[in-house]
Amino acid sequence: MLDQVLHLQGRGAVFRLDTPLLGSVPELDSMSVAGVIAALEDRFGFAVERGEIDGATFATLGSLVAFVKTKLDD
Amino acid sequence: MIDLEDGAAEALFLPIHPGRRFCILHRPSRRRKIKGAVLCVHPFAEELNKTRRMVAAGSRALAQEGWAVMQIDLLGCGDSSGEFKDADWQQWLADLTAAQRWLTEQYEAPLWLWGIRAGCLLAAEALPAMNNAPNLLLWQPVYSGRQHLTQFLRIHEAGEMLSGNVERSVTEGVRDQLFAGSSVEVAGYELAPAMARALHEAEFTLPASYQRVIVVLEVASQEAGLSPASEVRFARLEESGCRVKFRVVRGSPFWQTVEITECRALIEATRLLLSQQST
Repeated sequence: MLDQVLHLQGRGAVFRLDTPLLGSVPELDSMSVAGVIAALEDRFGFAVERGEIDGATFATLGSLVAFVKTKLDD
Repeated sequence: MIDLEDGAAEALFLPIHPGRRFCILHRPSRRRKIKGAVLCVHPFAEELNKTRRMVAAGSRALAQEGWAVMQIDLLGCGDSSGEFKDADWQQWLADLTAAQRWLTEQYEAPLWLWGIRAGCLLAAEALPAMNNAPNLLLWQPVYSGRQHLTQFLRIHEAGEMLSGNVERSVTEGVRDQLFAGSSVEVAGYELAPAMARALHEAEFTLPASYQRVIVVLEVASQEAGLSPASEVRFARLEESGCRVKFRVVRGSPFWQTVEITECRALIEATRLLLSQQST
């Protein structure tokens, strides 16, 4: 899904949980971070509230996955 | 002999107070009987830019099939009069009515409103002023203006986050700031308080007496059914007498991808489903 939203053209397929995102993936700007969050909301059917997400959430693929898991467990 | 004019696109300005609106008219191929006239209702802010290529490609494909397709840049958008901060929801609805009237004068054919994302909210709201006549073609519809505004403002939040500004008071105050009457700049768009309020209050609601064809197309990155939001809504519509057609195609979310992307499957599905409705 990251690959689709960010248009990484397949680079996303080799991402591991410790792959750094923010600051390392140039496609991640404010617009695309918002796009990723919206896509997660659509896909998993939860709503992200203001203040729930900060830079640390997007630090690595693992931190983002952990965030989604927390939301799904809510 | 090849007819170079066949299915040609033509840029024009419609005089609509205040100023004028930039439109592109894709004339229907003369080799076919005209199937209908389609008025495109574009999405909100940056999604308009992201979807331009797909709309142009879709319009060309439909024109080749015998549809007249008109794109309009609403007040404060694209090449029309005004800046985004001058845009006004009610004026957008008036722009659509004026464009529909013009289009109907040019082509005596069944009318369709083609809503894209938040354009679906506008299309539904514009129906009563058009005597509920148009059918609806909806691309990845936004049903809740409130949710759409939240997602739009999140671009602002994400910007703050990326610039390391994690002071909650800054990000959390954006909506309050808007509703208190100050405009906010989000991704280069100056969002006026009245526009934020109008979007916040917009809900996809069809007039009670509406009984036309509704074609809903969604894009999913993998095999998936219609979004739960669409399923719930449209089951009820069929009961009320509308003919509803759905299709989910595979592709990228072209309305928000970083690079401008195309989804040919969506255009193909649109062409097919619309043709089926015109016979």
